[in-house]
Amino acid sequence: MSKTWLIIKREYLTRVRKKSFIIMSLLGPLLLAGVVIFSFWLNIEESDNQKIIVVDDNYPMFQGIDDTKYIDFEVQNISLDKALALLDVSDYTGVLYIPSNILNGHIAQLHFKKTLSVNIQRAIEQKCQQIIEMEKLEDFNIRESDYKRVKSPFYIQTLKFDGVNSTESDVLPAMVGWVFGIIIFMAVYLYSVQVMRGVIEEKTNRIVEVIISTVKPTQLLMGKIIGVGAVGLTQFVIWAFLSATGITIGQSVIMSQVYTTENVLSAENMTPAVQQQMLEENKLNFSEFSKDDNIFNSISRINFPLMLGLFIFYFIGGYLLYASMMAAVGSGADNDTDTQQFILPITFPLMLAYIVSISMFNNPESDIIVWMSIIPFTSPIIMIMRVAFGIESGDLWQVYLSMALLVATIALMVWASSKIYRIGILMYGKKLNYRDLIKWIKL
Amino acid sequence: MSNIIEVKEVSKWFGDFHALNNVSIEVPEGSIFGLLGPNGAGKTTLIRMITQITSPDSGAIVFNGTSLQSFNIKDIGYLPEERGLYRKMKVGEQALYLTQLKGISKKEAHQSLDIWFEKLNMQDWWNKKIISLSKGMQQKLQFVISVAHNPKLLILDEPFSGFDPIHTEEIKQQILALKEAGTSIIFSTHNMSSVEELCENICLINKGETLLKGNINDIKGSFSKCLFKVDFKGSQVAFANALGYQFEIAEIKTKGETSSALIKGFDKITPNMLLRSLVNFVEVVSFNEVLPSMHDIFVDQVTAKNTPVDV
Repeated sequence: MSKTWLIIKREYLTRVRKKSFIIMSLLGPLLLAGVVIFSFWLNIEESDNQKIIVVDDNYPMFQGIDDTKYIDFEVQNISLDKALALLDVSDYTGVLYIPSNILNGHIAQLHFKKTLSVNIQRAIEQKCQQIIEMEKLEDFNIRESDYKRVKSPFYIQTLKFDGVNSTESDVLPAMVGWVFGIIIFMAVYLYSVQVMRGVIEEKTNRIVEVIISTVKPTQLLMGKIIGVGAVGLTQFVIWAFLSATGITIGQSVIMSQVYTTENVLSAENMTPAVQQQMLEENKLNFSEFSKDDNIFNSISRINFPLMLGLFIFYFIGGYLLYASMMAAVGSGADNDTDTQQFILPITFPLMLAYIVSISMFNNPESDIIVWMSIIPFTSPIIMIMRVAFGIESGDLWQVYLSMALLVATIALMVWASSKIYRIGILMYGKKLNYRDLIKWIKL
Repeated sequence: MSNIIEVKEVSKWFGDFHALNNVSIEVPEGSIFGLLGPNGAGKTTLIRMITQITSPDSGAIVFNGTSLQSFNIKDIGYLPEERGLYRKMKVGEQALYLTQLKGISKKEAHQSLDIWFEKLNMQDWWNKKIISLSKGMQQKLQFVISVAHNPKLLILDEPFSGFDPIHTEEIKQQILALKEAGTSIIFSTHNMSSVEELCENICLINKGETLLKGNINDIKGSFSKCLFKVDFKGSQVAFANALGYQFEIAEIKTKGETSSALIKGFDKITPNMLLRSLVNFVEVVSFNEVLPSMHDIFVDQVTAKNTPVDV
């Protein structure tokens, strides 16, 4: 055991100390965080502050329009032509023209020199709408507080009925499941190939004979598989930790920005501060208003302990299954190119699972998906997604079956692989074929 | 003297291929044993059985008086013919790892490696990467790794390949020193001159069968072709007349006063018989029996496919 431990330690440390590992560990989440932050930023960041002339044919109806952080409104009692002439020569960025029939027509015009962002447009629309609504309330003699009570946003809650309970179904848990599935797919592929490379390296280096004269081939094989797997887990944990930190920091930066920009972003934004503000204003439960708070409901509905448990199980299981097969292939090859004909059939189920995983959003419970979630070669990716989509309690046996089959298949594959491995690593100059592989298993 | 290892009638099949057929060897403790044979003879298969990489289909291996066990790995050092190192690891790290794998503690491994590094002037290699070492340096490191755990039995498969003459001599001296210190050594090679220089006993195998085995001098004696080299002063005619019907001259050369003749004897001839017939007719300056070299025996045996000879 202590020898296997030594091997695990070496496999682990030599890989973890590599520059490429450190760079990938740091860069991976940085890239991810970068993408997230960037996409958030794109939504809120405006290139310049806007100075907009408001030409109000119903002056002074729009006198009360508020500035936002990025938009200064200047209500002018001038004609549109004059305003446009002014726009041409001044540092104003746009002219908002409110025609006299605004209360009936509901159409205003925004003239600009440089295209305004969607967010700016939406903010201006909202500002205008607020004023129009206020005007109409006055016209119809409705109190503002009554109006707020009447105004009721609407959405449909979709519920999945499993015979006993109905649970809300939506795409977010599926997305989380898909991300988990894709992480498993990537990890299984990347790290099982690393195992294969490691085996080939030892073989072509000719160090393998020295090592197996001191340890059993199975010990070397298991040490390598466990060591490389631990590297994969380490990288995943670093990524998860750094991503979480990065996203938290990024979000707090963005959210503080959101708050100070007030209504540039839609009023449905989720910061507690905004919620609080709305609560105070409306004396209504905010969550009834907003559809988007669903994200929190959805996420909280995902059974994270279960998902995480399954994730770790299928992560390790999928890795062990594919790594042992890849190790067998590596042991029979003299160099990387020899392995091509074997890698394709081995990785085919993985690729298939990846492709199917995308189609799962449309039809999460088709027969093929049920089968693929049970068959061990695809189950690590597909089953975790099925569970995330929400699996009926009556179908839970499929999860247990898939787990049992995976364990059994791993045992079989590790057994067969170590048989191939202990012969393969001492064979040189022989092109590997399937007949030999089967012969070696039988030996 | 007891035997450190006894291989008793082992056989090994690889599918239809009979890699070893009833091969037996005995290596006396504290000696250097030559395991000889052409490529594909089964030497590596035999060595892999002793190092427990493979196991025999039949037969037994006895190590130090008891049946070979997995814990004996600690007592065996092995330098394979096909050998290498992890190219991207550092020298010290790698040496420690491989020595520890033999089952000794890190501290012991470090102490022993320090001694060996000093012995072979490798102290400043410790933090170098393997990839920066020359081939000869790597071979030297591999040798050190095979002996650093102080094995009772050291198996060296072509230990001198890749070495320049200076390194070869250095390693040869280390091998002899190990032998003096009591280590038993199995030495597998094609280099017959180093066999004659180092080995006391040999076993020659070919196609999985034992062709020859025993003490190296006994073997050479048994392959005596009754050739004698005689240097003498005097008449060549007298010399020729002096030889009886049991002898004939294979070759004769003259250099100044001295002639040098190669005499072939027939039947069971002893050196004394030849000397007796000569001493009254010519002045014998020097006389010795010409024994075949191991090289000749090797080539003869392997090409003639002789039936096994036990000495």
